Amino acid sequence: MGFRLYKEPKLNNPVLIACWPGIGNIGVIAVDILRRMMAAEELGEIESWDFFYPRRVLIRDGELKDLEFPNNKFYFKRTETKDLLFFIGEEQPSDGTRVYAEGTNAYRMANLVLDVALKFGCQRVYTSGAAVAPIHHTAMSRVWVVPNKEDLIAEVKSYENTVLMSDIEGRDGQGSITGLNGLLLGVAKKRGLEAICVMGEIPIYIHGFPIPYPKGSKAVLEVLSAVLGIEVPMDEINALVQQSEDEIESVYEKLPSEIKEQLDKLKYVTYAKPSEPEPITEEDKKRILQEIDRLFKKEPGRD
Amino acid sequence: MNEGQPFRLFTKPKLENSALVVAWNQDAGRVGPRVVDYLNTKLESREFAEIDPEGFFSLGGVSVEGDIAQFPESKFYWCQAKSLVIFKSDIPRYGWYEFLGLVLDIVEKYCKVKEIYTVGGMVSPSAHTTPRMLLSVANSAEMKMMLSHHDLISDMDYETQDGQRPTFSSFLLWAAKRRNIAGTSLWMPVPFYLLAVQDPWACKKVMEFFNRHLELDIDFTDMDEEVTRQNREIAQVRRQFPEIDGYISKLESNLGLTVDESEKLVKEIEALLRRRH
Repeated sequence: MGFRLYKEPKLNNPVLIACWPGIGNIGVIAVDILRRMMAAEELGEIESWDFFYPRRVLIRDGELKDLEFPNNKFYFKRTETKDLLFFIGEEQPSDGTRVYAEGTNAYRMANLVLDVALKFGCQRVYTSGAAVAPIHHTAMSRVWVVPNKEDLIAEVKSYENTVLMSDIEGRDGQGSITGLNGLLLGVAKKRGLEAICVMGEIPIYIHGFPIPYPKGSKAVLEVLSAVLGIEVPMDEINALVQQSEDEIESVYEKLPSEIKEQLDKLKYVTYAKPSEPEPITEEDKKRILQEIDRLFKKEPGRD
Repeated sequence: MNEGQPFRLFTKPKLENSALVVAWNQDAGRVGPRVVDYLNTKLESREFAEIDPEGFFSLGGVSVEGDIAQFPESKFYWCQAKSLVIFKSDIPRYGWYEFLGLVLDIVEKYCKVKEIYTVGGMVSPSAHTTPRMLLSVANSAEMKMMLSHHDLISDMDYETQDGQRPTFSSFLLWAAKRRNIAGTSLWMPVPFYLLAVQDPWACKKVMEFFNRHLELDIDFTDMDEEVTRQNREIAQVRRQFPEIDGYISKLESNLGLTVDESEKLVKEIEALLRRRH
């Protein structure tokens, strides 16, 4: 069980940006755009068959030619300011019943990713994911940041458009980051690496649906590009944001007016500091989610 | 369990260049399990090893099927006279590659296995009276060539469709190929309305292949009787129930059934055949 490197370039203290799919695919969309915009080269891969069930078989003329597994690839890019390592996993190694990895397989994969990072002299890791927040989809997503060391707090506070867990009302700095985007922070801490998770906000009434939320990805991309000192063209992500907004808006328009009224309250809410009108109640939230669930599940052409 | 090993070894088989036949308990029409059970009985195979379920199966309780509590099993049998190894197992829930590695480790180390055959059923929309042939998928051109003198459909093209995933047998064949072990998956079509009962004819076709290819010298008289009995019973059902006869006749004429018709056929055949046993 391990990884395979296609090449072994000399890198100077590279920063690792790692990501696995999660809610709204916020992190993966952001990191993948960054990787492509940087024209990062393929570096290697984790041997996926140790972690995953194959997703495709190819049989030709009665002969099994290939099995295809989810990709778990490393990329690299040398820049004038910083060398970068990327790791993008197409799936989290779960037991088949959960989307998020946990337990032995998750721990093994996190360590393999860091084995490669350390091999190239990496000491700083970024992961990315989603933060489910009581925001409206027309609002700009902010980015929740969680470092794995106390002395990184000052640094992450300086990032634009970010909040710490302690900035969020009622959290008192507490929370959790599910799956490998979170676990990697812990394993990095154990192995002495600095790590920061950047999570783009996704509205609470959208997070349960299997749709991407590029607005959250854009917020993450802006933070990562600023932190890494990289100019990233935003055309692609802006187009995705526009498309996603149109789709969400078309569903939103079909919601009963009383539900929309409740959700519209989120336009005026900053959950770190609630203002009038009052935020939606738990009961409202339940009803709203049921209504949206019904809309998403509805077959086309049926009432 | 043997100290430090995820399997129990009861005895060390004395085999060279043996063949391995594999069946998974989760199989369409239970063709695979029935074939290996039959082979085990006829050849008086003996169990020699078992993989421990820990790490491969959910052990948070047991499932109940047919009023009986079930527990995952992964057992190896051997027949020295025929240089044959049989592995019958539930499909693991996780740790798939590790599990397959363990299977291959055991049969390579203790049985010197050189060829692997997996057996499985596949759902067929055809009637039970329609001629059916065994399909094969080899993991190498050499293996395909080796089976070319058998009456098999061995030119299949296939790619996994969206929403589906490869069979565990394909995973095993792929893993075997990585170790240069020749392997073939054998697939027997089973009419959809016999999936819940049994299809002795399908099982017999598979066993006939093994009988020829592995020179097992098995007498199929009992199996022939079972096939004849089931055919007779279905014929009686068709005579008694014109509606059922109509559905099967449509299938025999290569005409499709509606969802309702298919469901009714499955339900009635299952109820009627079970009542007779």
